[in-house]
Amino acid sequence: MTEYSRMAKGKFTSTGGAQIVNLPFQPDFVELINYTAAATPANHGIPYAYWDANMGQGFAIVDLFNATPVLITDSVDLNGISTFSAGQLLQYGARQQVVGITKADPAVVTVTAHGLTSGDVVIFTGLYQSATTGMPQIDGIPFTVTVLTADTFSIPWNTNQSEYTALSASPSGAYMKKVLYPYLYEPGVAYISAITLGTTTTIDTTDAHNFVVGQEVAFRIPSSWGTIQLNSLPNTLTPGSPVYGYVVAVTDYNTVVVNINSSAYTAFNSNQPFADVSGQSFAQIVAVGDVNTGGVEITSGSALYPPPYISPIGTTRVNSINGPAIKGAFFNNTSQGFIVGAGTAAGDTSSVLVGAVSDVIYWRAFLHDLSIP
Amino acid sequence: MSITTTGNLGPMILQSLAPAMLYVPTPTMNYITVCDKVSMPANGGTTIRFMRPRALTPPTVQLGNSGIDPPAQVPQRDIIDAQMAFFGTGCIINEQVILQDQEGVLAWVSERLAVAMRQAEDLILRDYIVSAASDINAGGGSNGDNPTNLGVSDFSLVATTLDTNNAYKFMTGIEGMDRFGTGPVRSAYFMLSSTELQSDFDALVGSGFLSQWNYPTNASALPSEYGSVYNVRILTSSEAPVARQASDAGNDVYYNTVLGKQAVTHINQDGYSMNLIYRDPYYSGMLAQNATLAVKFAQAQAITQDTAIRNLLSTRASNLGV
Repeated sequence: MTEYSRMAKGKFTSTGGAQIVNLPFQPDFVELINYTAAATPANHGIPYAYWDANMGQGFAIVDLFNATPVLITDSVDLNGISTFSAGQLLQYGARQQVVGITKADPAVVTVTAHGLTSGDVVIFTGLYQSATTGMPQIDGIPFTVTVLTADTFSIPWNTNQSEYTALSASPSGAYMKKVLYPYLYEPGVAYISAITLGTTTTIDTTDAHNFVVGQEVAFRIPSSWGTIQLNSLPNTLTPGSPVYGYVVAVTDYNTVVVNINSSAYTAFNSNQPFADVSGQSFAQIVAVGDVNTGGVEITSGSALYPPPYISPIGTTRVNSINGPAIKGAFFNNTSQGFIVGAGTAAGDTSSVLVGAVSDVIYWRAFLHDLSIP
Repeated sequence: MSITTTGNLGPMILQSLAPAMLYVPTPTMNYITVCDKVSMPANGGTTIRFMRPRALTPPTVQLGNSGIDPPAQVPQRDIIDAQMAFFGTGCIINEQVILQDQEGVLAWVSERLAVAMRQAEDLILRDYIVSAASDINAGGGSNGDNPTNLGVSDFSLVATTLDTNNAYKFMTGIEGMDRFGTGPVRSAYFMLSSTELQSDFDALVGSGFLSQWNYPTNASALPSEYGSVYNVRILTSSEAPVARQASDAGNDVYYNTVLGKQAVTHINQDGYSMNLIYRDPYYSGMLAQNATLAVKFAQAQAITQDTAIRNLLSTRASNLGV
């Protein structure tokens, strides 16, 4: 060992999808032991895997059980092990051609070999089927995806409305890009996809809102979207005093209930005119503050002093690397480390680097002082 | 006759280090400039809390002559929390470098670390504002995209929005003077914008844009100030946020942050805004070979007046120089 090298180890239980491991450094060497696969040899199992920075991002060398089963060696050439540094916003993956988008609720998008995982966030550009048809109204909106197949995913938006036309046959200029680090500073602003009016108001967002119960929120609803009464100003009761709501329930990653009685408000309208796309702004909900105190909810199995978290999909919670904070506080969610992908060995497409669901995987990560050359 | 030249009697040493270092291209750091600055005390926990009272309803109904008091109001306040985070970076420098290199390695590495820290502060604020402030898409431009390029009506709209929200402007107006080519400047909010949009601003000369050079006096102009449109004074930087190829038409989208006073607050903890740490090789391994130079700082940030800030998103009308 040299003086300034970094070493870390740990374990995780596989979900079958790519696994992010946060570290205080970006390693140049990672090794994995899939304890489950090693203890019960079976065809396609990958008990050992290795990655060195010189192999390149997304690569890995693996030991793999063949049909006998005995160990052979192979390589994972795509979606193997890679490092990441989530320190700055507005970074995107490569543009991918949109093959089609259905006119449905939710809309289903086809992108050949999209490579996404449920919870990833994407944006679209150029969603025109022709000069006068398509769905450019949703260009630029960040959407959380729910993966359906290797080539399709859904987005939380209702395109089954009169102003939208389905996309098909890979229209020229229609692209999708993955937003690499969508939640570096939370809570923040989120675009609204639907509002259910009532004695309380239910808000659906296009990607994760990351609000908690007690969050104080404000609305920015352009007039064409309908429910402008939610906007915080002007307040006729006390002119000039902004009106805020509080989150009283968090249903899931993109749905919250706010304590505003909107029964008499104008209905929300996401059927935005195709012809008005240029200069169109979006309806938004934005975090203002919170009413929470220093107390933390302790439940069975919970951390005594939990860190702030994000909820990228469903009701999952992904903790930040931070120490404890007041719930609802603005927090920094930047991080770095490595990712174990769900790639397959070149010679065995039934194998999965990150293992099967519930596999227990031990890992060690290194950053060496001395690397020759 | 033979002439002795450098061809047969060359200098013993071919290199000479120029006396001054070359400058390092460094973006203007506008975001930290416009933030409120607050220090969180030591032993103050992880999270700073801001409190903003809400306005009480003005008593505009007369009391009448009943002699009975009206019901009391319940004062309310809004609470804004922000969690402190710590950052740092450093360099390990072998003593042979310090001993043998001609230039003052420790000096210029210290300077670079300090600039890196200040730039980190600015970038964190920049990205935080992108994440936490609501946005308006420009629609006053003529390029047909969404958002469009900036038109003067966009400046008017966003300033009107902040005025309606009773935001405080940063700058008082500049009275007109009897100087050729100058014009008065309105009291103004700041807009933090990209240097890549400067040619777009120039294209608005004559329709609302006033170059900083055409202010009656430059006394109150900031170094990065490019000009003003209506109630907005524009500060530009090359590190302003840009979402590349993200518009409806696949063009770059610029986040032009327009804000008033107290809209964003930068928080340090107990003056821990920057520590420059030098550790002599004495503190390294057995042979004391390596010195370390490092910087670290603590920073939190919060939007403390959400009504006083908007990201005005736009594309660009003109081509981008390369």
